[in-house]
Amino acid sequence: MNIQDNFIKNKKNIFFSENKYIQNHREKLINIFENDRFDKKNNESLKNINLKHFIDFKYKYLISEETSVINSNQENSYSIVSVNGQCSSFKDDKIEITKILDEDYNDFIKNDTIDKNDHFVNLNSLFLNSGFKIIIKKNNNIKIKISNIITDDDLTIFQKNNYICEEGSSLNLIEEYENKNNSTLNILNVIRLEKNSKLNHFLIQDNSSNHNLIVTSHSSCKKDSTYTQKVYNFSEGYVRNFHYSELIETNSEADLQGIFFLKDNNTSNNKTFVKHSAEDCKSNQVYKGILNDRAKATYFSNTYVDQLAQKTEGYQLSKGILLSDNASYFSKPELKIFADDVKCSHGSTIGPIDENAIFYLRSRGMSKNAATKILISSFINEELSSIDNEQMSEMIQKKLVRYLSKVK
Amino acid sequence: MNSETLNTLDSYSKNKYKYGFVTEIDNEKPKKGLNEETIKFISLKKNEPEWMLDWRLKAYSKWKKMKEPKWANLNFPDIDYQAIYYYSAPKGFEKKPKDLSEVDPKLIETYNKLGIPLEEQKVLAGVAVDVVFDSVSVATTYKGQLEKLGIIFCSIGEAIQKHPDLIKKYLGSVIPPGDHSFSALNSAVFTDGSFVYIPEGVKCPMELSTYFRINAENTGQFERTLIIADKGSYVSYLEGCTAPKRDDNQLHAANVELIALEDAEIKYSTVQNWYPGDEDGKGGIYNFVTKRGLCAGKNSKISWTQVETGSAITWKYPSCILKGDNSIGEFYSVAITNNFQQADTGTKMTHIGKNTKSKIISKGISLGKSQNTYRGEVSFLRKAEKARNYTQCDSLLVGNQCGAHTVPYIDSKNNTAIIEHEASTSKINEDQLYYCRQRGLSHEEAVSLIVNGFCKQVLQELPMEFAVEAQKLVSISLEGSVG
Repeated sequence: MNIQDNFIKNKKNIFFSENKYIQNHREKLINIFENDRFDKKNNESLKNINLKHFIDFKYKYLISEETSVINSNQENSYSIVSVNGQCSSFKDDKIEITKILDEDYNDFIKNDTIDKNDHFVNLNSLFLNSGFKIIIKKNNNIKIKISNIITDDDLTIFQKNNYICEEGSSLNLIEEYENKNNSTLNILNVIRLEKNSKLNHFLIQDNSSNHNLIVTSHSSCKKDSTYTQKVYNFSEGYVRNFHYSELIETNSEADLQGIFFLKDNNTSNNKTFVKHSAEDCKSNQVYKGILNDRAKATYFSNTYVDQLAQKTEGYQLSKGILLSDNASYFSKPELKIFADDVKCSHGSTIGPIDENAIFYLRSRGMSKNAATKILISSFINEELSSIDNEQMSEMIQKKLVRYLSKVK
Repeated sequence: MNSETLNTLDSYSKNKYKYGFVTEIDNEKPKKGLNEETIKFISLKKNEPEWMLDWRLKAYSKWKKMKEPKWANLNFPDIDYQAIYYYSAPKGFEKKPKDLSEVDPKLIETYNKLGIPLEEQKVLAGVAVDVVFDSVSVATTYKGQLEKLGIIFCSIGEAIQKHPDLIKKYLGSVIPPGDHSFSALNSAVFTDGSFVYIPEGVKCPMELSTYFRINAENTGQFERTLIIADKGSYVSYLEGCTAPKRDDNQLHAANVELIALEDAEIKYSTVQNWYPGDEDGKGGIYNFVTKRGLCAGKNSKISWTQVETGSAITWKYPSCILKGDNSIGEFYSVAITNNFQQADTGTKMTHIGKNTKSKIISKGISLGKSQNTYRGEVSFLRKAEKARNYTQCDSLLVGNQCGAHTVPYIDSKNNTAIIEHEASTSKINEDQLYYCRQRGLSHEEAVSLIVNGFCKQVLQELPMEFAVEAQKLVSISLEGSVG
């Protein structure tokens, strides 16, 4: 079924379909789809994707009988179970959870950092059917763990979450995506960091091979704020990680990191984009990938430095290891710089595991397989050892061991 | 700013684009515009055989269906292809002059101004020149000695007449006419250019060179160069470009094809100094060039070196297709943009064969209000076992109104291939500047010295004759925008 029919038929299930302004915007989006027809040639974000799957989808959404759970187990620590993208409201003196409102959607329309032809974001806006908003109140230090649960097969969930970290607050956010059903989750996180706030954002992705996950995030950082994001992708199904960050006031920082482990026929598309709009900001984009079997991955990184953003430091690094003849990796580390007093660089490497290192380990009596595994672990060691949460560190180690057990 | 700097700036501002003179010679042109008539006119003027005309017309019909590639980071008004003269020859040139005494003295004067060693004593310097003045090749020096070795070095027009077999076999084999709209345009209307064939086992004893110059107003120059290096041969080819100063934008869409067979090596160096437009961004050349080399045989090597200082718009990606096993591709580039210039340049290395290697060194310098983009693609195909690439692209920004951009595409489909890419962008190091100033250099001189040092890796790849000129060009290009 094409997108327009899909939209008309399911209009009543979609958020904000009463709002005229939003309605107009959606009509424009439908026009974009009609005109562009998912032209792969001129749209890099569609590389390696089996489009049919995403265009001719069958829209299905239901609100589950299972309800979401919000627990405040320890002081300043919350765990949330979001079911099919829904989360019930909650309020105390530190955080507030509500449904997303028309105005949250409106605010986002005006943002032009995200490419107009990013069809997955457009689909999200068009079919929006779930989502919530979390506000971390002033000067609080909070930990939140969110488990994103999808209850049924064949669901198409278009979710939008807003996070607002008020002045001086600090949030440690762990998001888990571990679903084993044949559904598609398209989620957009819009994150706003007020003055002097801090957000450590972990995304752990471990879905089964029939589950599609599309995660897009947009964060904007005000004065002295810091956004750190770490993505761990162990999924066997398709995952798209597109993360945009905007440094809009001085002395803010964005750090976007990710590692992905691919095997079989799996594909993963990744993108990070940092826009420096103010002076004295720092950014860092580091992605590492390990590809086995016939896996394919793309990684686009982009640092944009506005004319006003002097004294910028922006770094990018992309590293890929190909374990098999049939794996392929595409990377495009881009720099767009309009200011002169900057330090920007990127590095990118793709290759096999270093033969000399293997030789060294084998000469010490190790089997080839064991040597390979050790070298893969050391390749990502920096990312793993920087996790300060013991429980999470253990969980990721387990997943790594599971991945390595399939490496020959 | 001290008085010394002001003086230097003053002298620089007087010393503008010194190649911006116009030689007044009667030109013979067809009507403006592009249509089948124009192409037939060109073909007729060049006395071409039937098959060549067919080839051109086929390319033209392809061009009609194509759109200009729009992906480059360039901003310019649409080109009106019907407002351009597609052929321009000094009158009375249907018959070629036999030696220099028959050439119009004004022409010789022009070349003297350009500093081309056409005259006898300069020929001793060992450069054989095939001069292209607008669209017709004027004189080819040093031909005799080359002929003895079996080297063919002539204009492409002559080659179509005399060596149709080679032309039929190789023309369009690396850049098919239907590749993109500029290659189709060039294939339809190309007027002149050089043809080089180096026979098996011959090492060309001198550097071959062509000097292109757009003289007539409103003419596009569409030259076509084809270089074939047969088994085990070697050739080094130089290309230099200047154009007079005019307010209109002129179009230059060249195609250069290189073919290196087994064990052959081609070194292609360019110093491009087309008129870049004035301080307000008026006028200047639109330079849309397709250059591609094919390493067809085993152990072959193609090396591109370019110094790009001119043109209002540069759209140029000299690339290598590394098809033969163990073949090597190299790309060294310096691109300097000033005022309102825009450059989108880089390379494409396609690794097909085993053990193929490529190296890319690109240095971009942006000044004034210019935009400088490096765009390069490195791809390893499935069978490119143990292929290797190293890429380094650095950008230097002078002033806060310019932009420097890096857009590399890296694609690996082979797990034994290794690819390394690094890039950095920064401004001139204050410490280095301070050090030079302390040693008594003026600000201008210090910047020039540092920029030359920044480009050294590339400049040292140029043949002797060009290296000196290129260094001077680098300094001139920095004029007026430093301090």
